[in-house]
Amino acid sequence: MPHTARLDRATAATLVAASLMAAAVALIFFYVPSDVDQGYSQRIFYFHVPIALTTYTLFAWGALNAARYLWTGREDLDLKSYVPMHLGVIFGSLTLVTGSIWAHISWGTWWDWGSRELNTFLIIFLFYCAYFMLRFSVEPGARRSRYSAVYALLGVGLIPLSVLAVRIAQDALHPIVFRSNGVNMDGSMFLTFCVALAAMLSLAVSMYLVEMRGKRVDERLAQLRRLAQEAA
Amino acid sequence: MNARALRALVRKDLLLELRGREVVPSMAVFVAAAFVLFRFGLGGTDLAGGTRAATGMLWVAIVFTALVGLSRSFAHEREGRTWDGLLAAPVDRALFWAARTCSTFLFLAAVQVVALPAFWLFFLQEHAGPSYPVLVAAVLLADIGIACLGSLLADVGIACLGSLLAGLASSARAREVLLPALYLPFAIPLVLTAVRVTTDTIPPQTGGLETLQRLGFLALYDTVFALLGWALFEYVVED
Repeated sequence: MPHTARLDRATAATLVAASLMAAAVALIFFYVPSDVDQGYSQRIFYFHVPIALTTYTLFAWGALNAARYLWTGREDLDLKSYVPMHLGVIFGSLTLVTGSIWAHISWGTWWDWGSRELNTFLIIFLFYCAYFMLRFSVEPGARRSRYSAVYALLGVGLIPLSVLAVRIAQDALHPIVFRSNGVNMDGSMFLTFCVALAAMLSLAVSMYLVEMRGKRVDERLAQLRRLAQEAA
Repeated sequence: MNARALRALVRKDLLLELRGREVVPSMAVFVAAAFVLFRFGLGGTDLAGGTRAATGMLWVAIVFTALVGLSRSFAHEREGRTWDGLLAAPVDRALFWAARTCSTFLFLAAVQVVALPAFWLFFLQEHAGPSYPVLVAAVLLADIGIACLGSLLADVGIACLGSLLAGLASSARAREVLLPALYLPFAIPLVLTAVRVTTDTIPPQTGGLETLQRLGFLALYDTVFALLGWALFEYVVED
């Protein structure tokens, strides 16, 4: 196949992600005003929360494709379920790291066991890690795809239950030190937040497209190798 | 028809256990040894953290004991090669899951008949403990949840043995680690809620309305994983 200069989807998505990311960084550091209570350090909010939302989105995407895989049995859906889960681990680690940094700055501790968001996320992160363990201990094939899909769908039960469990296990007396709800944001903060969220989501999309392309190339290479061996 | 097949399957599991005495005794020994360890871990003669810390430990012990039992679940069928025979039976595949859930629940309950009095003896007789009806209700609800999810994951864990990646040593290692790794993330919300529901009834606290709310959460946990287990099991068993 001749090489065409046509802009393919992965490159286009990467360009969009890069420009949105540059815009988000510029807005975060030069445009948005500092928070009244927390000052400059509150700006990590514009990284942390979009990354966390992206992790949830990636998980939902992976689980949706897992359900579609079990329903239809189409082989490509297995990869389409695995890649979002894989990216979810990367974004999930980043959420834990940024959350931990933020906790250190605003609460003076690297980890706050009273924080709902951090604890829920920790459970989800452990679940993601277990998914990988399952995936990498089974031989590739239909069986691995089925087990991975089943486990991913169990996570659909686990995540809302974790959110709920962390919520109701909390003391009514526990002081909520501070909350970052979007309702209290003013216009410039909300704009920055939206741009940052769009940047993170498009970054995830472009990473997804690039990884899918890599996996497809791997597959074709393996096919060609088999053909070459048969021919030899 | 279904009820008859379910009864037959549960009866088979119970008979195997009665004759082989494989799962329940090892779980009972495990949980008793764990209590002794926890007692020393919490300071031996003076119970550090009081009955509150001890009740938390009870839930950790329950989860790990269940894992000991679950790791033997389905082992008979796989090792004795009777699984294919079972699959040939003209019943809904989900029924195998339901039967395994029932027998796992019965095994857990049988172990707790021994474990809870031992727990009282080791930890609770010195100071005020949690409310016993709440404790028993929470334990039973947790057992249902563990059994529903555990019988599905145990089958995934065991079935993976046949297709583990190359190398004897590595597959032996993976066999022991896989089921706990798959199961423990799901145990976190369960333990989180169960610990609160029981420790909040230790005097001077009385629990109150929140106790009901948290027991309700445990029931919700059971329902969610019962539905998922029922729906997903047929994809786990081989064709």
